[in-house]
Amino acid sequence: MTPILAESAAPRSRTQKQSILKQIMGKPAGAIFLVFMTLQIVCIVGALLYPDDFRYLSPQNLTILMKAIPVLGCLALGAGVLMISGEFDLSIGSVYTFTAILMASLVNLGISAFIAAPIGILAGVMIGLLNGQITLRFGLPSFIVTLGGLLFWRGAVLLYNGAVQVRFDPEAAFSSLFSGSLFGINAAFIWIILLVAAFHLLLHSHRFGNHVFATGGNRGAAEAIGINTGRVKLIGFAIAGGMAAVAGILATTRVGSVQPGQGAGLELQAIAACVIGGLSLRGGRGSIIGIFLGVLLIHTITDVLLLLRAPGFYLDMFIATLIVLAAIFNHLIERRGLA
Amino acid sequence: MSKPNLLELHNISKSFGALTALSNLSFHIGEGEVVGLLGDNGAGKSTTVNLISGIHKPSDGYLTVDGKRTLFTCRSDSADAGIETIYQHTALVDSLSITRNIFMGRELTDRFGFLKQAEMREIAMEVLKNAVHIAGIDSPDTLVGNLSGGQKQAVAIARAVYFKKRVLLLDEPTSALSVRETEALLNQVLKLKAENVSSVLVTHNLYHAYQVCDRFVIMSHGTKVFDVEKADTTVGQLTEYVVLS
Repeated sequence: MTPILAESAAPRSRTQKQSILKQIMGKPAGAIFLVFMTLQIVCIVGALLYPDDFRYLSPQNLTILMKAIPVLGCLALGAGVLMISGEFDLSIGSVYTFTAILMASLVNLGISAFIAAPIGILAGVMIGLLNGQITLRFGLPSFIVTLGGLLFWRGAVLLYNGAVQVRFDPEAAFSSLFSGSLFGINAAFIWIILLVAAFHLLLHSHRFGNHVFATGGNRGAAEAIGINTGRVKLIGFAIAGGMAAVAGILATTRVGSVQPGQGAGLELQAIAACVIGGLSLRGGRGSIIGIFLGVLLIHTITDVLLLLRAPGFYLDMFIATLIVLAAIFNHLIERRGLA
Repeated sequence: MSKPNLLELHNISKSFGALTALSNLSFHIGEGEVVGLLGDNGAGKSTTVNLISGIHKPSDGYLTVDGKRTLFTCRSDSADAGIETIYQHTALVDSLSITRNIFMGRELTDRFGFLKQAEMREIAMEVLKNAVHIAGIDSPDTLVGNLSGGQKQAVAIARAVYFKKRVLLLDEPTSALSVRETEALLNQVLKLKAENVSSVLVTHNLYHAYQVCDRFVIMSHGTKVFDVEKADTTVGQLTEYVVLS
């Protein structure tokens, strides 16, 4: 720690300092990265100074964080890719619950979880495609179509299952694959890191990602150059639905049961994570790292507030403030053309 | 028989419902020729551009490319024939870099679809430096949203140059440009002409057209009223035709 502090305290020309800061800010998600690192440093220093009162670094707390992050992470990755292509999916919270219940029921019927889980993902993908087809075929705002999806699939869960919880009791191999641990790191957390890496490659280093940005950034231009923007958006919807199902698998395996009401509000948290991570609500702007940092930030702040024994009811107020501040900040950056 | 013209329009008509936008329009564009398509508002210039670029289909008449009869049904048809349209509000994505815009939709990838980023960047740098000289851009990683109107048009032209287009359709290219940027753009058109690339300059500004065009086609009420070589006319005469017809 000390050498870094000493270096930053050393006299340095103003322009040089500015340019480093500007360089980080100019990178996609640079600003959110700075906020996140600052928060981490404050938390770590706080935890080292008051290990008994502020148990941020305790193994229990770190485990809780590692278990909580992947679920929102999966939802936000899917919702984020779709958002960059210029569409929304509000139904992912309901799809997350519906596919989890579908999977758990199949396992309860004696089907292997290794077959039930892909069926759940497939169901999520199909629901995403349906949302996309309706949106694109009739030229409707996806906001409205997927708002319909949110209510429809929430209702479908109650119709199919009633308001009771479903037990999820998969074979041991499945449990350890999704909720075991490797070298002390939670399996779900390893999955989300792998998914973030895969999404990063797909969005920033693959032809498809380039088309997603072009579609969301300027649909007319993308079409003029010969990109099939309808297909790009449709794939985006499918990814959002599929990732909702993956989130369902991770959450259900961890808890061992599905509550019919568990997904409510998660879609908005996922969109919030995306906005905090620098995605534009108009599409065409954002990064996978930003989305993931947005998720980490939401969970870190929630966690810190809980550790400080802030009353649970007020947590939403902090998250709300964070979202609005992030939106204002991103708007300013967009206007100045920094990122 | 002499070599056929690069692009010819034969008796083209276009109507939208009861409205006739073009009637019996014929003209040609030769190889390496710069043609000024002039006319007042509502003369049918934009419809003509949309027709050549494949956005509209003719109600009657046809196009030929190298003497062969062709039907463009969408933008990519005209792009395949070597025609690149550069619009007033250029078809670029602001949130992507210059490199990514140049290669948009035609990315260089490996067989798994992953982008060859270093290669694309190098080519973009080469094109920016040699083929299209754009003032004030230091890196192909600059986001297009941070460029001026003239710089954006230069990027669009760079895209056309790299993909070896034969005809550039420039729709009101100078309307949003500064004097210096206009000068650079017109020089660019001449430079491309030296490399045998044809251009169609659609514009209100007769002086800009007169600087670079070899021939002028003046339209009024959806039809051609004057078609003249530069050597046989003056700005005054062109103005008269645009205003009085």
